[in-house]
Amino acid sequence: MKLTAEETRVAVDTTRDILSGPNDSRGNLIPVLQQVQKKLGYVPPVAMQEVAAHFNIPAVDVYGVITFYNQFRLTPPGKNQIKICMGTACHMRGANIIQEAWERRLKIKVGETTEDREFSLERVACVGCCTMAPVVVNNEEVNGKITPTRVDGLLFSYELDKKNAAAEGGEDNGQ
Amino acid sequence: MASNNQAAAVYATLKEEAEQNRGKLFEKPLILIGAATCGRAAGALKLVEEINNELSRLQLEANVVEVGCMGHCYAEPIMVIYNEGFPPIAYGNVNEGVGARIVRDYLTDGDPGYEFALVALEPNDFFPTYSDFPRGIHENKIVLDQCGFIDPQNIEHYIATGGYSALVKVLEADPGEIIKTVKASGLRGRGGAGFPTGLKWETCSNAGGTPKYLICNADEGDPGAFMDRTILESTPHSLLEGMIIAGRAVGSEKGYIYIRAEYPLAVERVNQAVQQAHEKGLLGENILGTGFSFNIEIFQGSGAFVCGEETALIASMEGRAGIPTHKPPFPADAGLWGKPTVINNVKSFSYVPHIINNGADWFKSIGTEKNPGTAIFALAGKIENTGLVEVPMSTTLNELIFEVGSGIAGGKQFKAVQIGGPSGGCLPESALETPIDFDSLTEAGAMMGSGGMVVLDEDDCMVEIARYFLDFTQKESCGKCTFCRLGTKHMLDILERITKGHGKPEDIELLMEMAARVKEGSLCNLGKTAPNPVLSTIKHFRDEYEAHINEGRCPSLMCKDLIAYYILPDKCERSCDACLGSCPVEAIFSNEDRIKVIDQEKCVKCDSCKVACPPQYEAIVKLSPPSEVAAREQGEGVK
Amino acid sequence: MGNQITFTVDGKIINAAEGEMLLWTALDNDIYIPHLCGERNEKERPASCRLCFVEVDGRPAPMPACTLPVSEGLVVKTRSERVDALVAAGFELLMSNHRLDCKNCPANGNCELQRIAKARKLRLKPKNLPVLDKGLPVDDSAPGILYDPNKCVLCGRCIRACRHSGNGVLGFTRRGFERIVATFGDLPLGDSGCQGCGDCAEACPIGALAKKA
Repeated sequence: MKLTAEETRVAVDTTRDILSGPNDSRGNLIPVLQQVQKKLGYVPPVAMQEVAAHFNIPAVDVYGVITFYNQFRLTPPGKNQIKICMGTACHMRGANIIQEAWERRLKIKVGETTEDREFSLERVACVGCCTMAPVVVNNEEVNGKITPTRVDGLLFSYELDKKNAAAEGGEDNGQ
Repeated sequence: MASNNQAAAVYATLKEEAEQNRGKLFEKPLILIGAATCGRAAGALKLVEEINNELSRLQLEANVVEVGCMGHCYAEPIMVIYNEGFPPIAYGNVNEGVGARIVRDYLTDGDPGYEFALVALEPNDFFPTYSDFPRGIHENKIVLDQCGFIDPQNIEHYIATGGYSALVKVLEADPGEIIKTVKASGLRGRGGAGFPTGLKWETCSNAGGTPKYLICNADEGDPGAFMDRTILESTPHSLLEGMIIAGRAVGSEKGYIYIRAEYPLAVERVNQAVQQAHEKGLLGENILGTGFSFNIEIFQGSGAFVCGEETALIASMEGRAGIPTHKPPFPADAGLWGKPTVINNVKSFSYVPHIINNGADWFKSIGTEKNPGTAIFALAGKIENTGLVEVPMSTTLNELIFEVGSGIAGGKQFKAVQIGGPSGGCLPESALETPIDFDSLTEAGAMMGSGGMVVLDEDDCMVEIARYFLDFTQKESCGKCTFCRLGTKHMLDILERITKGHGKPEDIELLMEMAARVKEGSLCNLGKTAPNPVLSTIKHFRDEYEAHINEGRCPSLMCKDLIAYYILPDKCERSCDACLGSCPVEAIFSNEDRIKVIDQEKCVKCDSCKVACPPQYEAIVKLSPPSEVAAREQGEGVK
Repeated sequence: MGNQITFTVDGKIINAAEGEMLLWTALDNDIYIPHLCGERNEKERPASCRLCFVEVDGRPAPMPACTLPVSEGLVVKTRSERVDALVAAGFELLMSNHRLDCKNCPANGNCELQRIAKARKLRLKPKNLPVLDKGLPVDDSAPGILYDPNKCVLCGRCIRACRHSGNGVLGFTRRGFERIVATFGDLPLGDSGCQGCGDCAEACPIGALAKKA
């Protein structure tokens, strides 16, 4: 995926800002990358290069760390991050069915982002809410006892929120 | 000894203050709401909001406190009310409407709403307490004792209930004495392997090299396990206290808590706890004026199950991919940055203050000689009362599942219990008398692991569960060593073809052969234990493997490729369209007799229709192998 | 290194410095033990290829020779039923993920896999296992170097060589079955800052990285 010039600039500035804090001890590497990801939502190559230079290590080592851990993303996430819990309890209670319901509705596969960047779909390791299985984490909110029908319901409420926000925005502009 | 007296005096002041401040809460009606992640997933935060609204609407005075998890997750959201004239009462399944109603009736009319009550928390003449239920009889809460009753965001609640008194005790004690006590208690590491904690501390204490480090492994990655999360979210100070004591014992001034990325609330709670402990002088430089310093930092994992392995955990703290290394050297000799490092699980550290306060003999009086203390289990899956339980070691699986957990949900038949996550195994009914302890479970072919227990019923396919775990370990394998990287991949491929109906008769032997080699040849415990779910299911449920392979049939009707949905024509009500409306892919149509029929080509087997079909009809069934559908249709004349 | 000590491997009495890893002392004494990832003078001992298993008296299970420090009186057998089964299984696993094309391979005749197969009488082509070919593109972008990741057995020697004398462009990336030796952002070697010294190809024991003819 190609970043726009603006995205590149933001990524470099954000990363440099984060790097102004910690020293170059390698123990700071992962916390730094976590901060970059938190700020940007992903860790683009330009950010990895900045980080590698700061820690004085080959850029491929940063790339190796980023591609090793599940948490790191190389591409921007959707505005709404849908994470399907893949814990045992969720699996036995039909997490795959839930995953397929999202895939069908959003017309993307796990690991992908919708073209309008509204939604991205991920699988996530057990979030420890096994008693609420199957569980979906939408952004930071844990939703328990999901069914395909509830997937439709959640999507519907996003649409509604979006419309309301747009309507409000419209009114604001009108005033 | 002067400084010890001084520490004791400082602590006495802290405790008095804490008791006073906490006591004030009880001057008004006190409402506790379980707001750990599990409670939140069930809507606890909305409940808090609604209750606050109701209180202000009715202009009632009461204190509302968000607490951690009491362990009764099946009944989330949970609310506890302390009100004069009645014993404190816990309510379960409190949705916003019910919550508001209980508060209204109880605080205005004095009606405690027994119809919503789970249990009373103190003996009384009105309502049963925990000890009136099998669960209460078996449970013996040590680490979980305060979970769900104290405010995890307020250190004073911990101190007021005796917290940090063990630390005061050890501050002036000889570090060797602390180790001696922990050794004498027989405490075994609760991370899974059950290595004696005291011995680990002693090794680290004796190892040359400074500084020494302490790491709490809170990278609880076993799917189906949430004990550590609950402790971190509900009583974070018991972990901190245990760590400071351990630091004092081994001569370390620096501890880290490695928490997995998937637990944001736990990270928040622990950060808060660390800060508050600093403010009270219980953590940091010169603790309680004794000259002993200990600092704790939080390191967040980045999503890699293998980092639960201690050398991988260290690699990730050192800024590298979480890849295990050969042992020896063990971390207690050469760990973080090559320095002696003690790595213990959340639960192991959390027992320590209790052992210091009550003595090694007390701890040994619980459980068995070789497995003293309690076992903390997360009960999940097809069990009636899911949640977190703490029972003495040697409690049997039967007692745990059928008495503590109240048996299988929905009147279904018990099939197996999966213990120990991806490293563990599935035990069948015949193993239910196995006592829960490190050695017995390993002997039975499972593993204590860190304490996840998923109960499986007749609808769960044992080949599928083996495939699920292999899929998990294969995805989480670091990829360094040959056996784990490629062995688990081949095993997964075989299991996948079996669940898809393409298994070959020789596959079972091939799986067993491969499993034996992967166990023997892998570098770390992730690989060495990865075949366990496969071996245990083959051992106990070989017939299910054979049905998949030889007949293309999934006896539990779970494997999607081996089942089809079918609408029984004589049961279909005809004028009801529930299934048709529920189908997300328009695979259901009405035939000329208005009987609903499924277009098998279109069906995605999402189960929606079966759920939608009203229970009085039960017209939709699953058939395996899918060829059954054609046979039935022909027999029953469905067009 | 420590004192000179005496121990036996396959009945042969060996003198070596205490603490030296068994693998190297055996090789010094013309006792061949299969190995891919270990390098004598490297501080890092990955113990990742899992081929150098030996049986040690008093130890319950076979252990890798590359991480076993020798000590006085050690009694080692490089072959036993258990060791042979384990090494055969490990080798078959590796070969199930190695694109086998000896005839056209630059390492033909000078290949560690061929050597192991010959020494232990093992088949190069896996017998029980299907071949898992990742189908990754062969990289011929760098002047003088050819990289076929489908052959790679992940021993890591090229990465260490690249750090010693090259620009440090190679590294392990990803994890699990997806783990591969790659460059930053998976750039072709030619665009990665590779200076073309060819030391990686020298280090590669099996022809995944090779000098262009």
